Amino acid sequence: MNSPAAPTISEEEFQKFRDFFYRKTGIYFEENKRYFVDKRLIERIKATDNETFRNYFVMLRFETSGKELQQLINLMTVNETYFFREEYQFTCLVKSVLADILPRKRCGEPIRIWSIPSSSGEEPYSLAIYLLEYWPQVNAYDIELIASDIDTEILKKARQGRYDQRSISHLPAHLLHKHFTTTANGAYQISDDLRNSIDFTQVNITDLNQMRIYRNFDVVFCRNLLIYFDDTSRRIAAEALFNALRPGGFICLGHSESMSRITPLFKIRKFPEAIIYQKPLR
Amino acid sequence: MSLIKKSQDISPPVLEENRRTPRDRAGLLSQLENDAPDIRRWAALDLVEFPDTAEVLCAQLAQETQTPVREALLTTLIKIGNPIVVNRLIPLLRSEDAALRNLVIEALQQLPEAVAPHMKEMLRDPDADYRIFSINVLDNLKHPQAPAWLQEVVEKDDNINVCAAAVEVLAEVGSAEVIPALSTLPERFDNDPFMEFCVQTAIRRIQGNGNRI
Ligand SMILES: C[S@@+](CC[C@H](N)C(=O)[O-])C[C@H]1O[C@@H](n2cnc3c(N)ncnc32)[C@H](O)[C@@H]1O
Repeated sequence: MNSPAAPTISEEEFQKFRDFFYRKTGIYFEENKRYFVDKRLIERIKATDNETFRNYFVMLRFETSGKELQQLINLMTVNETYFFREEYQFTCLVKSVLADILPRKRCGEPIRIWSIPSSSGEEPYSLAIYLLEYWPQVNAYDIELIASDIDTEILKKARQGRYDQRSISHLPAHLLHKHFTTTANGAYQISDDLRNSIDFTQVNITDLNQMRIYRNFDVVFCRNLLIYFDDTSRRIAAEALFNALRPGGFICLGHSESMSRITPLFKIRKFPEAIIYQKPLR
Repeated sequence: MSLIKKSQDISPPVLEENRRTPRDRAGLLSQLENDAPDIRRWAALDLVEFPDTAEVLCAQLAQETQTPVREALLTTLIKIGNPIVVNRLIPLLRSEDAALRNLVIEALQQLPEAVAPHMKEMLRDPDADYRIFSINVLDNLKHPQAPAWLQEVVEKDDNINVCAAAVEVLAEVGSAEVIPALSTLPERFDNDPFMEFCVQTAIRRIQGNGNRI
């Protein structure tokens, strides 16, 4: 009967937290996300043995390790994804985009593809499978696949490569059999070959300094991330992607996202399979 | 297998072209004047670490001709977003360069808190074009006062184009409270048919918005 009352979050506290979290991640919570945010905040306030939001927030801002912030980030991100999501873009990659890029490649130069945000890995693994299965020239080139996300827990899952029925439901059966094994408890484990073909790294796309080392990509898949950002974070992310691409490199966004509304930095390229964005050659 | 993993490649020691020259305040400021657009662009991005360079960045924005550099300057200015930035950007709304004006409008839209203290004065400027550009800022400015500022324009401004611009934005952001002010607007312009049409459309939009909630 002595258990302390559950902490509550006032409107003002919500706004304080929202601004802080926005500055750290670029993710902006509208008023209608209040319930989602409060629930997770309260969970962390309790888990860290704080009694009030105020105490917790002080701790969060002054901890030097950044551990609690990372825990919160892991809780607050929406990681929804699945294999072969928006498959037409993968088709576009193997049928049109790579053919556009190849003439600019020097002999022996690798093709570099980046999945950011990768979430639990379905997107970069789909890319690997697609290239292996549907790109006839796959053996003639070195291909580097890098996959990044801000969420450290989801990256662990991605590296592990174990999925449930929901994740693989769009995957053709023959590819499921070829690249996965079924585990004792009915999960689908992706092959070690595929796991070993992708580099998973943690990065915050709105952090210019963290993003600096990601360079010389030929294609970037940045799908279903910008929808969580406000105009300013979108603009910062667009600059970072511009920095990450080679001249002539391509960006695929999610179907509800538009680069033209964010910045004129990229050109629109219409391919038969999809409309995507390109960094100008010069 | 053709997919190769190359962890070491994602973290090259540090970027060559980026580090060839000093990334301190003075170094970056001098690179902002470099002939190579790419060097100017990187300087503009990195100067975000030095908010006290806002004035120089605004001056550079006004004279820069290369789109990627302009965009980088704008990104950095929005990120700095302090009152100095806003003080320096607002006068650029008078520029003859439409592309620059649009960039400035875009930046101001993203700085509602810093722009708010200037808005009343901007909307009372003697130059009608300038008032229209200020209304363009309000078009996407996430500030609770926006509908009230626009309502004042609708009630008091005697330029038909300025009022029409305000009506258009009110159609998006207005609520039922502004309908009385809108309804009497055409009278102020001799029931001009164009104004009648704008107002009717706006009122229908606002009522429709209300129904949706
Ligand atoms: C909905 S998932 C998208 C996954 C995949 N690209 C897709 O389209 O299916 C969004 C991911 O964005 C990540 N994310 C959110 N903010 C981020 C940031 N600032 N930098 C990098 N990743 C971020 C989240 O952790 C989450 O895993």
